[in-house]
Order: sequence, then C-alpha cells, then structure tokens
Amino acid sequence: MKPLVVKELTKIFELREGNIFSKRKREIYAVRDVSFDVDNGEILGLLGPNGAGKTTLIKMLCTLIEPTKGEAYIKGYSITKEAQKVKQNLGVMLTGERALYWKLTGRENLEYFAALYHLDPSWTKSRIDELLELLGLKDRENTLVENYSTGMRIRLNFAKALLNDAPVLLFDEPTMSLDPQSSRLIRSLIKELRDKGKTIILTTHYMEEADQLSDKVAIINYGRIVALAKPSELKVKVNKSKVIEIEGRGFERLEELNIKGIMKVDYKDSLLKVYTEDSRELLPKLLEFLIGKGVQVSNIKLPEPSLEDVFIELTGRTLRD
Amino acid sequence: MIRDLRVLKAVMIKDLKHYYRYPSGTLFLFIVPFLFTFLLSTMGSFVGGTLAKEYFYLRTGVENFFLYQILGTNIWIMAWVILEDIGTSIRNEQIKGTLEQNFLVPINKFFFLLGLSFAHTLLALLSFIVVVGSSLALVDLESLPRLFPSSLILLLGLIPLFGLGFVFSSLVIHLKEPYSFTHLINTFFSVVAGTYYPVHILPYWVQWISYSIPHTYLIDEMRKIIFSNQLVVELYGNTIILLSMGIIYMILGLRLFRFFERRARINGGLSKF
Repeated sequence: MKPLVVKELTKIFELREGNIFSKRKREIYAVRDVSFDVDNGEILGLLGPNGAGKTTLIKMLCTLIEPTKGEAYIKGYSITKEAQKVKQNLGVMLTGERALYWKLTGRENLEYFAALYHLDPSWTKSRIDELLELLGLKDRENTLVENYSTGMRIRLNFAKALLNDAPVLLFDEPTMSLDPQSSRLIRSLIKELRDKGKTIILTTHYMEEADQLSDKVAIINYGRIVALAKPSELKVKVNKSKVIEIEGRGFERLEELNIKGIMKVDYKDSLLKVYTEDSRELLPKLLEFLIGKGVQVSNIKLPEPSLEDVFIELTGRTLRD
Repeated sequence: MIRDLRVLKAVMIKDLKHYYRYPSGTLFLFIVPFLFTFLLSTMGSFVGGTLAKEYFYLRTGVENFFLYQILGTNIWIMAWVILEDIGTSIRNEQIKGTLEQNFLVPINKFFFLLGLSFAHTLLALLSFIVVVGSSLALVDLESLPRLFPSSLILLLGLIPLFGLGFVFSSLVIHLKEPYSFTHLINTFFSVVAGTYYPVHILPYWVQWISYSIPHTYLIDEMRKIIFSNQLVVELYGNTIILLSMGIIYMILGLRLFRFFERRARINGGLSKF
C-alpha cells in the first residue's frame, strides 16, 4: 500500500441559515468523492482557488475534520479509526503564522511540540538545533515569537512540521506571505525532503511553485478533483497556445487589428501581445496583416501553456478567484 | 505513561510561562480576596453596627471575621479561576490559532487537560499560601502551622474542581464564548457554597445544592482546620466525599470534552473561533 491513499473522501458541512424565527439547514459539499494516492518520494500539488476544498481535504487527512464519507490511509492507518497512529506518521504545516505561541521563544515552541510528539528527550535538543540551523533561525532561537518577522514565523512553523521526522508531510500554503529568499529556501527544503523519500502533499496558489515542485498535480474545483496528472501531461491537454507575442517596430502605425479570431490585444513599447483561441491558426494571417502595414517583425513567440492556463481551461476560473 | 507525563509537564510549563509573561492575570488572585474581605467587613459593620462581631460569632462560632471571610473568598476566587481558566486557556488558544496544533499531535487529551489544570494548581496553591498565610501571620500567628494541613486539603479539593474545569472547557469547544454562563454559575456557587456565611443558615432546599458541589466541603474543611484545629484524619467524611466528587466530575468532564471534540471534528469547529 502506498503511504498516502485517499478513497472517495467526501465532506458535507451542514449550515444553518436564516434568523431566529426561521432557520433552515443547507448542505455544502466542501470535498466530493476525492480519490488519489501518493508514493514515497513523491510530491502531489493540490491546486485550486479559495474555497475549492484544499484545506478541508488537508484537515481531513490530519484528522482535524471527520469525513462524511470515504476513507484515507496514512502509512496504512485509517484516518477515521486510527487517528493517533495517523498523527504519529504525519508532519503538518497549516496555513499562516498563528500556529505558534507568540509568548514563547522559537526554541520553546519547538520544545513544546517535541514533547507533544513524544520525541525522545535525548534526541530533542539535537533535532531542534538541526531544524533551527536549517531554517536560519538559530541566532534568534531565544527571541519571543511575537518579535519575529512574518517570514521567520512561517519558517518556524515549517520547522515544527518537520520535528517528528514523519514519513508523510502535509504543507498547506507553505510559502504564502514569504519573501522570495525564504520561499526559495522552503522550496529547496521540500525538494530535499522528497529526495529523502518523504511523501508530500502541498497546497498552493502559486503556479510556478506547483509546476516546479510537484511530481503530480491535482486540480480541485468546488470540492472535486477535475484533473490529476504530471504537470507536463496537464499542459499537453491544453495543446493550443493562446497568446502570440511579437517583437518589432512600427506597431504605432496600426489603427486597429481587425482579424477574425482575435480576442484581445496588448501593446507596449516594442512588444505586441495578441490573445486568441488558437494562435497557430491565427499566426499566418496576423503576420501577413502586420507586414502589409509596414511593421518590421524581429521576433515571434508562442508561449507554452502554464498550469494557470490548464486550470482556466478545466474550470473556467482563475486560481486567485 | 512516561510519555504522557512529559506531555503534562510540557503543557504545564507552557501555561506557566504564559502566566509569567502576562503577569496581570496572576495579580488578580492575590489582590481580590483582600478587596472582597474589606467590602464584606464594611458592609457587616454597617448592617450590624457595634454588635456586628457578636452577631457574627453567635452564627458562626468564629471570632475572627476577617480570617473567616478571607478563607472563604480565597477558596471561591481560586475555584472561579480554576473553573474558568482551564476553559479560558482553551479559548485563548482558539482565538490565537494554536488550539488546532494541539489536536494534530498524538496525545491523550486527559493529560493535556491535566497539564492545563496543574499550571493553575500551582498558582492556586501559591495564592492560598500567600493570602491565607499572610493573613494568619497578621491576625492569628498561633494558627500559622495549620497552613500546611489546610494546603493538603486544598490539593485534594482541587481534583473535583478540575473535573468541573473540564466541563467548562468542553463548553468552550462547543459554544466558543461560554463566559456569561460560567460567570453565572461561579456567582451562584459563591452564594450556595458558604463562602461568606455558614451553609446551615440557608434554606433547607438550597443546602441540597450546596452539598452537591465541592466548594462547600472544601471551605468547610478549611475552616475546621484553621478555626477548630481539627486534624486532617478527623475530616475523613468530607475527604471521602471530595474524592468521590473528584472521580465523578473528572469522568463527566472528560467525557463531555471528548463528546464536544468529536462534534467539532464533524462540523469543522476546531478551527473556528
């Protein structure tokens, strides 16, 4: 059995709406029939806009939320029946910097959670030293977390998730609100963990991050997984490039670009961007038109589709919706 | 078991550090008993006039009004703090966002709650020793050695209070803001537990309620030790009742906590505040 197996996991929340005199119940599907598995040394990127169900899914996997239906197994342990065993095999980083005690120092926070993870006291100190060093927090280990910067708090939260050296790691938006340098550090550590054979689920809003880190990407929308494949395979699904980028001179001579198939045009300095449904079909007509108008074309690019293009193609929404 | 004790210690130390780094809450424990006693003394003198002390002695058998009140008030305030603070700790964690983190770890919640309780126990014991000890030193130095056996009884009496604290903390998990309820209950306890007067002056049916809560027995035992110089062993009746209440309220509190924790897992309530 793979270290992380999810079978038809579903979560329905019951909401009560209305005023004191007329309350009615409404059922909301936060996650619906989600199934996947993740192997050793593999990263699954969960992509989706706000409210898509990513965090609910992560919280079900780490036993904070009980599923309405379905089952998941962490290292073979059921999340509904063997919660304690599941927690022993999980390292979890939930979104944000509020996961820490601000009135404790960085080291005190890690010592506290080390005790709660039942770490052997003889190993605790060296493990905490190692993690503080790794995340660049060693020189501020005795500072109260309330005096940390946002980036430092998120790095400490990341260190906390690694404390028990669990085989399965869940990272919910690990680089949100981080500066580029800290983001790079976290991303490189996630790669290292993958190379050490850890099983990782990563939720993120950042396309490049998902593209760069994930071995597989699951696109989640309205609680359902609408696509699950390697990033390269997903991009092949959106095989039509939708943008034509043309560098050249003389664009100012164009009054209008009246060619069938053009959806939108952006023009800045010497770069013209033309948006269309199918760039390969439009390109010959466009070039003929431009040359006819006296434009000197020096470079033409048909950018490859990004994961965001894939997402829009599959869901009709952008990732930041 | 050793692992569980390490959890208990970690939770206790974490909470004590919070007390130390937010010192104003702790001061409350040391100052309020004196203020309440002053308030009641003034009211007693106003109502009873020059015969106030004699009336008081006739009804209680105790001459030292100040000591009588400070003992009752101190225990009531401690009970208030224990009942509310275990829940408050959880409420604070809910608001700060750390509560979820404590549910991500493979711990037995009993030891987590006990860890919270022990932090409050240390404070309660400290406040008892400082407030009652300094009062005895001031007005009845001869009785000061009785502080030790009364502290032992206090520790025993705290067990059922922890159980009630667990009940309140489970309400925090469910209701989020149960303070109006806990304030009402705590004030009610002060009325029926004989905090400021002996329970026997209350109507008969109210005494039934009085004898169903641990406060009454705890205050009664304290007064018997301090004012009547009774030995701890002589008070075995009350002690057995306190122990039984300890077991009952602990089990009730833990079961309620687990029940509401399960509900919170179903409705996603652990991350809501």
